[in-house]
Amino acid sequence: MEMIDALRADAAKVLADGRAKVVIGYQARGDHRAPLFVTTADRAASLVYDDACKQNLAVYLRKPEVKLLGKAAVVASPAAMRSLVLLMSESQLTGDDALVLAVGVGEYHGVLELAQVAPLLKEKYAALAPSPELLREIEKLAAKTPEERAAFWAKQFAKCTRCYACRAACPGCYCTRCIVEKNVPQWISTAAAGHGNYAWNVIRAFHLAGRCTGCGACEAACPQGIPLMLLNVLLGQEVEKEFETKAGYDPEAKPVIGSWNPEDEEDFIK
Amino acid sequence: MKVIEANKLPGLAAALAGAGYRVVAPIRDGGEVRMVVWSPGAAIDTRAIPVNSAKDFLFPKAEIIGRCTLDGNDFRPEDVKPVAPKTVILAARPCDASAMLLLDAVFNWDYKDEFFNARRAATTIVSLVCTTADEQCFCTSVGGAPDATAGADGVLRQADGGRSFILEPLTEKGKAVAAAAGAALAEGQAKADAPVEVPVHFDAKAVTEWLGENFESPLWREVSLACLSCGACAYACPTCHCFDLQDEATRAESVRLRNWDTCGLALFTAHAGGHNPRPDQAARWRQRVMHKFSYLVERLGRLGCTGCGRCARLCPAGMAICETCREIDEARKAAVK
Repeated sequence: MEMIDALRADAAKVLADGRAKVVIGYQARGDHRAPLFVTTADRAASLVYDDACKQNLAVYLRKPEVKLLGKAAVVASPAAMRSLVLLMSESQLTGDDALVLAVGVGEYHGVLELAQVAPLLKEKYAALAPSPELLREIEKLAAKTPEERAAFWAKQFAKCTRCYACRAACPGCYCTRCIVEKNVPQWISTAAAGHGNYAWNVIRAFHLAGRCTGCGACEAACPQGIPLMLLNVLLGQEVEKEFETKAGYDPEAKPVIGSWNPEDEEDFIK
Repeated sequence: MKVIEANKLPGLAAALAGAGYRVVAPIRDGGEVRMVVWSPGAAIDTRAIPVNSAKDFLFPKAEIIGRCTLDGNDFRPEDVKPVAPKTVILAARPCDASAMLLLDAVFNWDYKDEFFNARRAATTIVSLVCTTADEQCFCTSVGGAPDATAGADGVLRQADGGRSFILEPLTEKGKAVAAAAGAALAEGQAKADAPVEVPVHFDAKAVTEWLGENFESPLWREVSLACLSCGACAYACPTCHCFDLQDEATRAESVRLRNWDTCGLALFTAHAGGHNPRPDQAARWRQRVMHKFSYLVERLGRLGCTGCGRCARLCPAGMAICETCREIDEARKAAVK
C-alpha cells in the first residue's frame, strides 16, 4: 500500500473507532499545503502528505478551538514528533492527550500513542541532522568577524515586521503571554525597527535554545524570508556541546532553559 | 507615445533618481521580489508579484509621530514633522494602486492624518498592467482588473511581447514623472501586450449581503480553525491600516510611535480588566472578513480588499480570504435553493 493510502486508512479508522475526534493533517490547495481538520471518516481521503508540507501541525494541539473538537490524531514528521516529546517533557502534553499518525523518512509508522513516539525517534531518527546546505551556511557565518555577523543579522532583522508568524507557527512558543507583549516594564521596543527587531529575534531564538526541534516551521512562516534556522540550529549545536542534550528525544528530560544545577559552571560570570 | 526598452528600466529609475525622486520599484534579491527603494545595480523585475505591497511607503510599519525631550524634571514636547520625500512608485500592481483610494478614504475619514497625507501628496504611483498572475490573484472578484488604473498617476504597459514598455501618464503627477524621465523615455511606437486573465471566484456584493445577516454563523468557527493568530496577512495587505500607539522613553527622550497592528492578534482587543470581546480566532477572522467586505463598504462605499492575494501567499497556515469568500458565496447560494 502506498504511504498516503495507509495514512488515509488510519485516519478514517481512528475516527470511525472513536479513538480520535479529529485528525489534523494536510490538504492540497493548488501548490500550497494547508492544514485539514478531518472529523468524519469519509473525509480522510482528502488528506495529502509530501515535501511541500512544511507546517508543524503539533502547534494546533494547544489551540483552544481545536481542543474543543475533542481528542486529536496529528500527522507528524520526525521533527514534529520531537516537538510532541518536547511538549511532554515540559508538561504541556500528557500520555493520552493525542494520537500520532507518524510519517517517517520514506516510510510510514502508523498510529502511535504519545508514549511510543520517543522510542521510535531514538530507534530510527536519533541522527536527524539539519540539511548540509544549512550547516554550510552556519559555517560560513561562523567564519565571519563579529562585526560582519552583526551587519548580516542587522540587515535580516531590519526586514522583520513583528507579525510574530514565527512564534505562531512554533509548537515550542506556547506562552500565553510572550515577553514581547509584557509592557510593565516594556522589555522590548514595540517598533518594527532597529534594536526592537534585534531584541525580539534574539530573544525568540534564546527561548528556543535547546528546545528547537529543527522542524523549520518558523522560517517557512516568516513572510520576510529571515533565515531563522541559522540561529536556531547554531544555538541547538551550542546546547548539545555544553549540556550533551538534544531537544525532543526524552519526555523525562528537564529543559536546559528551565532547569538549574548547583554544579553548573559559572566562569562566564565576570 | 513614450516607450522604453524592457532592459532599460533601471535607466528610467536612474533618471528619476537623478531628478530628485526616491524611486520605489519591484527589485529581485535572491529568490524574492520586493517593493524597495531602488539603488544603482538593483534588478527591476516586473514579472513576479512583489512580496510586500506599496503601502509600506505611505504607511510605514513603525513611525515616530511625537517626541518629548526630558531634562531632569523639564519636559519639552517637540513638533514632529512627517518624513515625506518626493517619491515615485514604479510598476506598482493595479491592486496596490487601487488600495491607495481606500487608504485615502480611511486616513481622511473623520481625522485628516497629516503623516499619511504628506507622503501621499509627495508620491506618484506608476502602475503596471499585469501580464502575469498566479493562483492566489483574485482582483476581478473585488471590482479590480489586471489593467485597472484606479489610484494610478501613470501606467506602464508591457509591449512587443515583453521587449518594451509604454509609459502613459494619467495625471499631472504622472506627467511630471514622464517629463523628469527625460531621454530615458523615447517617442516611439509599440504594441501593448494583452493583460493576463484573472478568473472571478465569487460575487463580492453577495458576500457583503450575507455578512450583514450572519455575524453568528457557525461558518466562522469552521473556516478559522487553521488560523494561528499572527499578523502575516495584515502586514502584507495593501489596505490594512490598523495601528497601535505606543510611548517609549529613555532618560533623555520619549517618543510616540505609530506601529502596525492587526485584528488577528488576541492582544488587539484585550481589555485591561482581562475581558476580550473577541475571545477566539473565529471572532478575529470574522472581524477581518467583516471589516473588509461589510463595515468599510457601509462606511466608505469601498471594499477593503483589492484581490492581490498576498495574505494567502504568505499565510503560514494556508488561510485564504478568497477561499472564505467563495465558501460564503456557496453557503448563500445553497441557502437560496
